[in-house]
Amino acid sequence: MAELRLEHIYKTYKGNVEAVKDLNLTVRDGEFLALLGPSGCGKTSTLRMIVGLEEITRGEMYIGDRLVNRLEPNARNVALAFETYALYPPLSVRDNIAFCLRARSVAPDEIKRRVDAVADMLDITDILDRKPAELGGGQKQRISLARALVRNPDVFLMDEPLSHLDAAQRAHMRVELKRLHAETGRTTILVTHDQLEAVAMAERIAVMNFGVLQQVGSFNEVYNHPVNEFVAGFIGEPPMNFLACRPAAQNGATALTAADGSFHLSLPSALQERVNAHNGQNLHLGVRPTDLHLGDGAADDDLLTLHATVDTYESLGEEGQLAANVGESPVLLITEPFLNLARGEKVDLQMSTNRIHLFDADTTNAI
Amino acid sequence: METNSINKRLAGLLSDGFLAVYFLFALFPILWMVLVSLKSGEELFTTQFIFHPTLENYRAIFFGDTRVGAGVVAKQEFPQYFLNSLIASTGAVILSLLVGVPAAYALARFNFKGKEDLAFTFLSFRFAPEMVVIIPLSVIYRQLGLYDTYFGIIWVYQLVTLPLLIWVLRSYFEDISPDIEQAAMIDGYPWWRIFWNILLPLVRPGLAAAALLAFVFAWNNFIFPLVLGGSHVQTVTVASLGYISSAQGFFNRMAAASVISSIPQIVLALSIQRYLIRGLSFGAVKG
Repeated sequence: MAELRLEHIYKTYKGNVEAVKDLNLTVRDGEFLALLGPSGCGKTSTLRMIVGLEEITRGEMYIGDRLVNRLEPNARNVALAFETYALYPPLSVRDNIAFCLRARSVAPDEIKRRVDAVADMLDITDILDRKPAELGGGQKQRISLARALVRNPDVFLMDEPLSHLDAAQRAHMRVELKRLHAETGRTTILVTHDQLEAVAMAERIAVMNFGVLQQVGSFNEVYNHPVNEFVAGFIGEPPMNFLACRPAAQNGATALTAADGSFHLSLPSALQERVNAHNGQNLHLGVRPTDLHLGDGAADDDLLTLHATVDTYESLGEEGQLAANVGESPVLLITEPFLNLARGEKVDLQMSTNRIHLFDADTTNAI
Repeated sequence: METNSINKRLAGLLSDGFLAVYFLFALFPILWMVLVSLKSGEELFTTQFIFHPTLENYRAIFFGDTRVGAGVVAKQEFPQYFLNSLIASTGAVILSLLVGVPAAYALARFNFKGKEDLAFTFLSFRFAPEMVVIIPLSVIYRQLGLYDTYFGIIWVYQLVTLPLLIWVLRSYFEDISPDIEQAAMIDGYPWWRIFWNILLPLVRPGLAAAALLAFVFAWNNFIFPLVLGGSHVQTVTVASLGYISSAQGFFNRMAAASVISSIPQIVLALSIQRYLIRGLSFGAVKG
């Protein structure tokens, strides 16, 4: 077990395609970190560089104190559970798991002991003599995890481990993977595009986009304090609403006025200071669908009100989903189910001042 | 319900009947060959199925002809021709395997400049009729001293066997996920052990089918050994022709030689039948 440190890592493919740019990331010893991002964000390139299947173009990578840039995959002592499982079809399950130990010429009884132990942990003892082709997706997944764990890797990586499982197996496996991490205490990196997986399992989440690391932090940090619009929009389901606006002076105080004039919001002093300290004229107001509520007419200093027109309303049983227009901008919010809302109806939407996010519209960074 | 099962049985009978007819059609030449090989010269041109079978023809091709007619060479060298064919065909297949398996792998896995052109070039070996290339080849062979040598024949057989192996195996290798190789790399295996322990077992059906077909094509080849082989390296296909002369055609001897010559192919095909059906229907068609 060890800490993994990436320092100024770049990956440039042929034709000057920059897959990863200046990546600095430290995965603490024993930590469970999720590398999260949309497809093409550079997370798979990062994973392949860590494992050693892809050369590092620039930068340094350390596992513990060892500089591993130039080491072959097998010398790094990392393990990877492939998205496609990549089991060896000609070999039995037992031989699949033992394969890497044989390469290290571990003694036969030691191999048997370790295979049995890891098979027991993953509950695959009864299928050890079968061939991979005879088994289902969930079982193959367990075998690929067993194969990765049996050699006690310093760093354990999983590439989209749940993507080929059905919904029930996925939920079950999430719990299993979390238990596995708790039991082994191994430095673990989960690569996924599914934020639910990342949130459910990882202690910290590293969000990537366009080859650039956007933010690293606990779910609380990336959800409640996103550093830019990408993180704000990517984390959370349904995604955050953004409304274009600009600062406006009003009786010596700073307020926000919609770009299309559809709202005018006075801000509490803390937010005023942040807006004043920022120079930009074009802002985006971000608010999550769960932080936006149908107004009941009550006035409160902490509540800001938007006037909107109902577009569509779906009652989904446990909750309702309302799509409305504020001026010309569409917003989505989660409401009570079974409301009577007609298309074109005027509604007031309210949000708490401490639940809104402000971004610079040009740089997309939070202010 | 009732009519359904009757229909089903009828369809079964029909398809069985059709297969039986095809079976007769396909195997009749072989049956005829065997019958002719058992006939004496007098009965040769009769269509009688009831005759006095004799093993004289087989004796003659192995131990020499007691009744050498005018102009007919004694053909007791048949075992030597058989051996020549065996050496040339087996050698050709082995060389093709040594060269073709890595080539197929490279064409399947790596992206390099001119990859498709190269693959197409291999395939194009099969385009030109052998007659077109045989004249220049024979000139080249004589100049290089390859004429009438085992190596010369084995080399020219590559035109027949190599494209087949490369194209069948390439689609097999393409079907194997690169993840498997990478997993083995992370597991700590050198590339040659990955190739040997993981990849080769996976392509085995294709390998068996392609190697068998290559062997059959090489074995049956006539024009290359006819022109490029002399008295030293003569194969059974060429030698069989010697049973017919201007004066007399020993078709019964020829048939006996053909029966013996087809034995290796039949034995090989039967022994790897299991792979053959899978190999040809699975790999080759997809490519």
